[in-house]
Amino acid sequence: MAQKKAKIPISKKIEENEELLKKRLGIGETFDVGVRKLLLLKTKVQLYYCNGLCDTTYIIQIMREFMLMNNQHKSPHSVKEVIHNHITHEQVELTDNMDEAVDRLLSGLILIFVDGEDEVFIVDVRSYPGRNPEEPDTEKVVRGSRDGYTENIIINTALTRRRLRDERLRNEIVQVGERSKTDICISYLKDVADPGLIKLIKKEISTISIDGIPMADKTIEEYLVKQGFNPFPMARYTERPDVAVQHLLEGHVLVMVDTSPSVLITPTTYFHHVQHAEEFRQTPLTGAFERWFRFIGILAAIMLVPLWYLYVQDPHLLPKGLEFIGPNKHGHLPIFLQLLLAEVGIHLLRLAAIHTPNALATSMGLVAAVLIGQIAISVGVFVPEVILYSSVSAIGTFVTPSVELGLANDLFRILLLLLVAIFHVPGYVIGLTLFIIFIANMKNLNTPYLWPFMPFNAKALLTIIMRVAVPMTKMRPSILHPQNPKRTSN
Amino acid sequence: MEDKKSQQMETDGSFMSRVISVGFFGGLIWSLIAFLAYYLNFTKVGPALILAPWALGKWKNEWLGHLIGVVILALLSILVAIGYRFLLSKVKSMWAGILYGTVLWFIVFYVLHPIFPGLEPMNKIGKNTVVTTLCLFILYGLFIGMTISFEYSERYGTNNQKSS
Repeated sequence: MAQKKAKIPISKKIEENEELLKKRLGIGETFDVGVRKLLLLKTKVQLYYCNGLCDTTYIIQIMREFMLMNNQHKSPHSVKEVIHNHITHEQVELTDNMDEAVDRLLSGLILIFVDGEDEVFIVDVRSYPGRNPEEPDTEKVVRGSRDGYTENIIINTALTRRRLRDERLRNEIVQVGERSKTDICISYLKDVADPGLIKLIKKEISTISIDGIPMADKTIEEYLVKQGFNPFPMARYTERPDVAVQHLLEGHVLVMVDTSPSVLITPTTYFHHVQHAEEFRQTPLTGAFERWFRFIGILAAIMLVPLWYLYVQDPHLLPKGLEFIGPNKHGHLPIFLQLLLAEVGIHLLRLAAIHTPNALATSMGLVAAVLIGQIAISVGVFVPEVILYSSVSAIGTFVTPSVELGLANDLFRILLLLLVAIFHVPGYVIGLTLFIIFIANMKNLNTPYLWPFMPFNAKALLTIIMRVAVPMTKMRPSILHPQNPKRTSN
Repeated sequence: MEDKKSQQMETDGSFMSRVISVGFFGGLIWSLIAFLAYYLNFTKVGPALILAPWALGKWKNEWLGHLIGVVILALLSILVAIGYRFLLSKVKSMWAGILYGTVLWFIVFYVLHPIFPGLEPMNKIGKNTVVTTLCLFILYGLFIGMTISFEYSERYGTNNQKSS
């Protein structure tokens, strides 16, 4: 947007610049932008800064150097040259564009205006408030690196670069948001990632027209993948640099958004959401086991409760040897209502747990387990089996590595339950069929969502089922159309 | 020129092997799921249906019969996949696969009905069986269809896959 406007030049008269900046930025009205006026070598010099976003110690260094310089030079022929030489910082730029200068000032850089010059110095003394890398809460591992992305995009690219010293790693930065001017970094390996995909992502990002993106990556995701009313997550997030770099090496494209510790991995399929870094920290066999248990949990989350309810309705369908399943006495409420109530209860608990402070979480667990579970049964609201199957499906939801996918599966389970209640077996079967057709039909940045199951790719499916040992994985996933299908050159 | 030709042949060869593999695994996966559906009493017919035309021992309706049925279906399914490759591989829409599965279901349960002795008439077999088998055939057809047309467009399609 900014490029289209006519460029506002920088005046040679420092007073005019001062007047303009005062009007545009409201210096005096807003307290966080300030100016320091100096007289150096008989020339007026002004230093603009944005409070809190820049490191004062650097500014003091630069100003001290300026003041010392005053005594060393006696009326030089170019004040600008001398000042340029004396800025004690490695990142110094010159611009003659006022808009750019203002943008930079508000991102925490300092501007140095010199009277009689139509260019301004921009010095990068940024220091953003933020935390240090910590282990992300949602992706903990037993062993392995404990650092995680932070809210600062510069630290994030540094954490990536630290794991990937490849000269072909590209971090392209663009700005989005007419007002917020948020930095977005697109990272990829130049000789691996699919150029068509990179082009597509850049195109989608460049067409975003929005005032600001305080919800950072989530907003960008919604522009990128056209979510609509589809509950299934179309983009995978990670807060772990090791996971991010792993995906870079496979040929994925990452999108980092400033002010968010979550990095967007594109493109993703359903099966990206059911894997976890922990599996790669264990031996291949135990890793595969972990993965299978996780798959069982996820399948149970979707299918178990409706299946059980199906058999409650039609006990004559129970397979031989499983006749004991089904409640012995039906309680006071219809089973269907009980299941829905349990569903509501579990979701309320989950929602409460998100913003319950740690100190209260234990007592909340107690309330949930003892009061609701135990006493609801003795009062007669719930049949014990309802609690059992609802809990199993809740655990299945929690075991889903991607929170978003867990929630989408929950939603589908309730829908399936409803279908079973109305149509019995045909409802269950048709529900599952439509579910598969629906997600098979989804496309995410031109990638089929259910790959490698549908469309089928035996080798790729094996790597998902088996957690193949790393030395055996010599090829990159073909769905990413990598320019180099092989991981190493030999 | 010659190089291009041999490359073309290579693509054709690997495409055919892909078709065979998708046929085999498609038959394997979906007939195993059919077996599961049979075990859960969703359907009265399991993979052992394929053994019905032959007078075999009692085992043919037990789990052994079903497992052998799974293997035979997996092998037969290769032919089904090859059929799809020649009939419909150029169609990009996933409805082609669904339609293919539905047609297959009609062939198996109506056209070939007489060769399966012991298979109840379709109007008496119950809606559970009809719905379950039809859904399984639809998903199977979709599985074969999606894979083959995806592979086809990856190999022979014009490189405009990024335009949508």
